[in-house]
Amino acid sequence: MEEGNDTLCVGIDLGTSRSSISASNGERHVIDSYVGWPVDMVARKLVKKSVLVGRDALDNRPMLELRRPLERGIMKEGSEKDQEAVQEILRHLLGLGGVKHKGKSKTRVRAVVGVPAEAFRVNRQNLRSTMEGIADSVMLVSEPFAVAYGLEALLHALVIDIGAGTADFCVMQGRYPTEEDQKTLPNAGDAIDEQLMKLIRERHQDAQFSIHMVREWKENSSFVGEAKNKVIVSAPIKGKATEIDITQEMRNACESILPPICETMITLLAKVDPEFQAKVRNNVILAGGTSLIAGLADAVTHALGELGGGRATVVKDPVFAGSDGSLAIAQDASSSDWEKLSL
Amino acid sequence: MPSIGDTKVRLLRGVVDDNIDVIQGVRTRRIARRKARVRLWVWLGVISVAVGYLSLPSQGVSRGGAPMTAPETVREIHSIAAEPVPEIEVPLAHPRPIDRNAIPLTVKTVVIDPGHGGDPGAIAESGLAEKDITLDIALRLRRLLQEAPFEVLLTRDMDRGLSLDQRVRFANENKADLFLSIHVNSMEPHTIRALETYYVGPTDDPHALNLASRENKESGYSLSDYKQILEKIYTDARREESHTAARTLHGELFHTLKHENPQLENRGVRTAPFVVLIGTQMPAVLIEIACLSNREEVELLTKQEYRETIALALAQGIRRYASGLSVAARKGS
Repeated sequence: MEEGNDTLCVGIDLGTSRSSISASNGERHVIDSYVGWPVDMVARKLVKKSVLVGRDALDNRPMLELRRPLERGIMKEGSEKDQEAVQEILRHLLGLGGVKHKGKSKTRVRAVVGVPAEAFRVNRQNLRSTMEGIADSVMLVSEPFAVAYGLEALLHALVIDIGAGTADFCVMQGRYPTEEDQKTLPNAGDAIDEQLMKLIRERHQDAQFSIHMVREWKENSSFVGEAKNKVIVSAPIKGKATEIDITQEMRNACESILPPICETMITLLAKVDPEFQAKVRNNVILAGGTSLIAGLADAVTHALGELGGGRATVVKDPVFAGSDGSLAIAQDASSSDWEKLSL
Repeated sequence: MPSIGDTKVRLLRGVVDDNIDVIQGVRTRRIARRKARVRLWVWLGVISVAVGYLSLPSQGVSRGGAPMTAPETVREIHSIAAEPVPEIEVPLAHPRPIDRNAIPLTVKTVVIDPGHGGDPGAIAESGLAEKDITLDIALRLRRLLQEAPFEVLLTRDMDRGLSLDQRVRFANENKADLFLSIHVNSMEPHTIRALETYYVGPTDDPHALNLASRENKESGYSLSDYKQILEKIYTDARREESHTAARTLHGELFHTLKHENPQLENRGVRTAPFVVLIGTQMPAVLIEIACLSNREEVELLTKQEYRETIALALAQGIRRYASGLSVAARKGS
């Protein structure tokens, strides 16, 4: 609510695959959640940096010790290097968001960070301590809750935030969600990548490709239901660039996440007060990078038919829905609230 | 109907309270009342069983933070005779098939974790401390395994305190292929001398759960976290490998020691949610090599030869486990 010139409110969606920031100064950025350190002096001279973050890190990965420090939406445990990598991502995001860490004009940062709905308390504590020295005050919120808050879908809504590491569910009933209102599934974008990789490998045994290539193919051509176009990609076979048709593999891999997601959605809907179930069924909101799969909302809407009908829609800006919602929380919280949550 | 503004204020209060709970390390307040009531009754039941258990003179107790064994009422105590190693395990519902390919089929690096350090752990009447025994055996084991050859790393090679997280981190950072945590038990009645080995997994034994809770206290996990942690680990390939390693090490140690320590009880291979077993990213085993509460075992432990025998048996167990993996690798399984 109150914000001085030297104070910046930010909302951060720290994702397994991509992380985004929305800042109160209007800055919005998304980066790949990768960090890399040059493997030796030669690599360091070539990349001209001691640490690379995001696309920079991915593009230079042969010369780097590359880390993707988040797993299923949370920091990997027991590794200092991964903790350091998360700090690099956060610093980088805040830098993009306009935070000055050096000099006299140090910005006071109030950050709201989204975490999976069912993140353990210990994961939340670890994340808080990782942010020491990076932000001044921190609030951690469940990702689907942040999306709901940002959209003002506070009553009779079900938000399904499907990222890379997790699919997070949250039923909004006008009150702060309880454990029973939320659920986290590991069936999300990464699960699709693994499945797609396996399926392509089964059918095109000589084709050479990496998980990064598979991820890119999925991001360009993912779909569920009937294919509108063939999915043709290029991969080397015995060193020669060859076009292969992965339409069926793409469909099967993308559809593999539908049963657990629909089953969890139905379970959560069944727990809603029967008087309001129809309203919630008609207000199912899909967010997160994986919600960009073509045909996903229709497939979820179709599944709602089993319960008597309903409607699922994808938010306008799935990639920033989490960070925008977190920013809204950051701006609405009072200074006294922020004081309580200082690092 | 309340306005959006009112609802937002209420939601923000929930967010702030939830975060304060995280900072203070207390259980989150956003649990539905009905759920809280159910848990209260469950816990009352557990506590009453625990009180009853502790009041019985023939049950195990932990001292100095050493892992405690489960009560006899919930498991069988097996005689020393050459019986198969008993396994006590409570499977979780619908486990997914384990992907063995995720585990490297060789053992190159072994991390040995001498239990305790700084804090003495269990202490015998004579003053012999668990931390000293575990370190002595770990140092012997390192010497024996280096002849193997394995790369052997110790989480500590002197008397110094280490958090559970530091032990886990050490093993993970060094990309160990096997993690072995050595402990010495303390139990009542003092006549008990027992060998037991743990690998990660669930338990329906409230005392084992209490023990894990106490052992894991500094880790920040709450009891309600365990179920979710274990459900995740149940699908993890390293659990199956940990089971194999635990069985191999336990069998080797028990069959070696029973010649010198004929009254040694075989308490078998068991599952429990210890943080050092949960957090490590490789097959991991925690072994209780003896009981410092038993005078005869303390006498044995004071002899260098007996400690060397324990180290030899553990080294042999590790070699057997490693060669089993190599065979599997050659067969391409």
